[in-house]
Amino acid sequence: MPEGTLCNRKMVNEKEFLSALLADKQGKQYYAELNELDVDHKKLVDTLSKTLKSRTKTWLEICAHCGMCADSCFFYLANKKDPEQVPSYKIQSTLGRLVKAPHKADNAFMQYCMDTAWGKCTCCNRCGSYCPFGIDMGVMFSYLRGLLFSQGFVPWELKIGSGMHRIYQAQMDVTSEDWVETCEWMAEESEEEYPGLEIPIDKEGADIMYTVNAREPKHYPQDIAEAAMLFHIAGENWTVPSKGWEETSLAMFAGDWEACKMQVESVYAAMDRLKPKRMVVTECGHAYRATVIEGPYWAGLASGKTPVESLHYVEWVAEALRTGKLKIDPAKKIKEPVTYQDSCNYIRNAGLRDIPREIMSYIAEDFREMKPCKEHNFCCGGGGGMNGLGRYREQRNIGLKVKRDQILATGAKLVISPCHNCWDAIRDMEEVYRIGIRWSFLKPLLLDMVIVPEHLRAEE
Amino acid sequence: MFKKILFATTASPACDHAARVAFDMAGRYQSDLSVLHVLGVPSRGFGQYVTDVRTGEQLVPDEDYVAWVKEEMKTTYAEQLKQCPGCTMEAVAGIPHTEILRFARKTDADLLILGGHTKDRENEGYTYRNMAGSTLQSVARSARCPVLVVSRPAASFWGGFSNIVLGTDFSKAAEHAFRFALSAARQLDCRLHLFHALDISGMHAGKVLEQDEIEDRLRDSLNTMRRKYVSQMKDFKNYEIDAWEGVPYVEIVKYAREKFADLIVMAHHTGSRDAENSALGSTMEQVVLRATCPVISVNHADKVSQDA
Repeated sequence: MPEGTLCNRKMVNEKEFLSALLADKQGKQYYAELNELDVDHKKLVDTLSKTLKSRTKTWLEICAHCGMCADSCFFYLANKKDPEQVPSYKIQSTLGRLVKAPHKADNAFMQYCMDTAWGKCTCCNRCGSYCPFGIDMGVMFSYLRGLLFSQGFVPWELKIGSGMHRIYQAQMDVTSEDWVETCEWMAEESEEEYPGLEIPIDKEGADIMYTVNAREPKHYPQDIAEAAMLFHIAGENWTVPSKGWEETSLAMFAGDWEACKMQVESVYAAMDRLKPKRMVVTECGHAYRATVIEGPYWAGLASGKTPVESLHYVEWVAEALRTGKLKIDPAKKIKEPVTYQDSCNYIRNAGLRDIPREIMSYIAEDFREMKPCKEHNFCCGGGGGMNGLGRYREQRNIGLKVKRDQILATGAKLVISPCHNCWDAIRDMEEVYRIGIRWSFLKPLLLDMVIVPEHLRAEE
Repeated sequence: MFKKILFATTASPACDHAARVAFDMAGRYQSDLSVLHVLGVPSRGFGQYVTDVRTGEQLVPDEDYVAWVKEEMKTTYAEQLKQCPGCTMEAVAGIPHTEILRFARKTDADLLILGGHTKDRENEGYTYRNMAGSTLQSVARSARCPVLVVSRPAASFWGGFSNIVLGTDFSKAAEHAFRFALSAARQLDCRLHLFHALDISGMHAGKVLEQDEIEDRLRDSLNTMRRKYVSQMKDFKNYEIDAWEGVPYVEIVKYAREKFADLIVMAHHTGSRDAENSALGSTMEQVVLRATCPVISVNHADKVSQDA
């Protein structure tokens, strides 16, 4: 059968289509149609000829099947060393076969590819660090996702997610008005505690343009208030853009390359419009990877860099603590054992390894590293979009075991996680396994221990 | 003073008592009443799923579903709607306290009514149980308008107001609570009982006070109330002032019982950002759980008449 009404090769550019997808309870009709979806071989061959470049060809060719990548994959470890979870097997049996014989790809094969690309890999790129040839299966799975997306073989939630970006330039249905409204609301909420606090919108030439994850205005507006309080205490000259405020990219998880480009261009346009000195991204890992690391290439920027220098939130925090813009009350440092979850998206993709350690040296008395950690850290278990996919919930929960055991081994009950995805995965881990841990972003912890300068305090 | 009432409900029996008060008040004072139900808590990352607060089911709250929930709400409150035909029903998905505060701000509500805890309810999911406990804390902390909480069945029998008890700790927020209590007492023609509980709970920790010292402090408290509050009451004479020593929430509940209070007004203020942590220590929360009348928490000056 050709394409279905929900599951098809069309892009979600209209609200009607998006609503129809949302109305399909748990993607029932969508997945039923998926079983009937055919493969557009001509298009597939065409896409391959345009996008399959020498790096991927070489990687697929030179893999020696040595198996060094096996133990690097948390899915392999969590699934009792199931050979089908070895990264090289996963990529060779999907992208490898697809590239060799695109004409032979049928529905069953495409579904196998989909279930592997989204259900057995979070694109954490850990395997790439252990391959003697430096073959990065995570990068190739991202590429495979793009091929699958263009053929309509994509999990229901990510079809919706990429549609959200196309329609709202945000991963959720938060309009520019909703966003501005939420900022005003949060400024009102905070001004009593911090007289003079503002959330300046569209201020030109500020030192910092702050951008967020749409979940914050949608469900956790307090996060925006907390960011505002910390900028206020630090005396920063900052602003948020009314448009181009969304850093995240479900389009990246979905493999919707076109929407990826559209999304980051909206942020870069805000930079061009407001001309800030720097941009700071909220505590989100994939948002940083999408907009700061990958984005410039999607947008075709020759420099490979964002139009203005861009920092992840942890970089701003470390700088503020280092330079004394934020001062910690020594009596309020975290006394209990505490551990830190490195987000794959800014550890292995951006090298932000020492920055979090520096932060911990200022705020924690008993910081305990997970083993392994830093660039060798395991994925939280919910990266690459996995947290949000109902179809792979069970696989996700099995995968969480590796992170669970890593956390338990530290003896810490508090996990600091400056990444929405990790934060979610760790929360869900507690829900599934009940190991008695707490999890937090940096912002609320910092607010509880930072010294508010005399002139900024509210009168009592 | 209760022109726009927002009743936030779990649409479950936990809120029945609060519902009775909400509809009764709206009928009595001809208020615009909105009933808001936060139907699902987002739980799966970016996923569109929410956990339905009543069934624990994972679902996507599309327009049809929201419309169906609103119909259900109308059925649940069919009896009460007869008294308030103009009442509007709203259902949204989100984190309860965020959506309640967002809605209150949008509609410029001047009174928020909430039910008590649902923490002990077996049939509600893990996530929601954890959240319900902190909803009250977060809403009371940030709401710009007074927040009326009804948690016990005994607290919902409402025959109009005759006695209002103000529990004060002399904080800045308590000043707003006082203004609200005074304005309510004036408009509703009630007796106003100004009350301070001297906290001697530290005695268990060895901080023993001499009786003379306790009595001195009580005298000081009475003087403070005269200076801070009575001096602002001008021609309003229907009041009394008292100060007792003890554990504050116990004394406030006892005092309210003795004075046949129909309403307790208190300030809810806590420096802590962590609602779960402050929950146990909060006098307001303990009073809410134990009082036999509704408790109004006032934390901000916005919706409180400034002319005493």
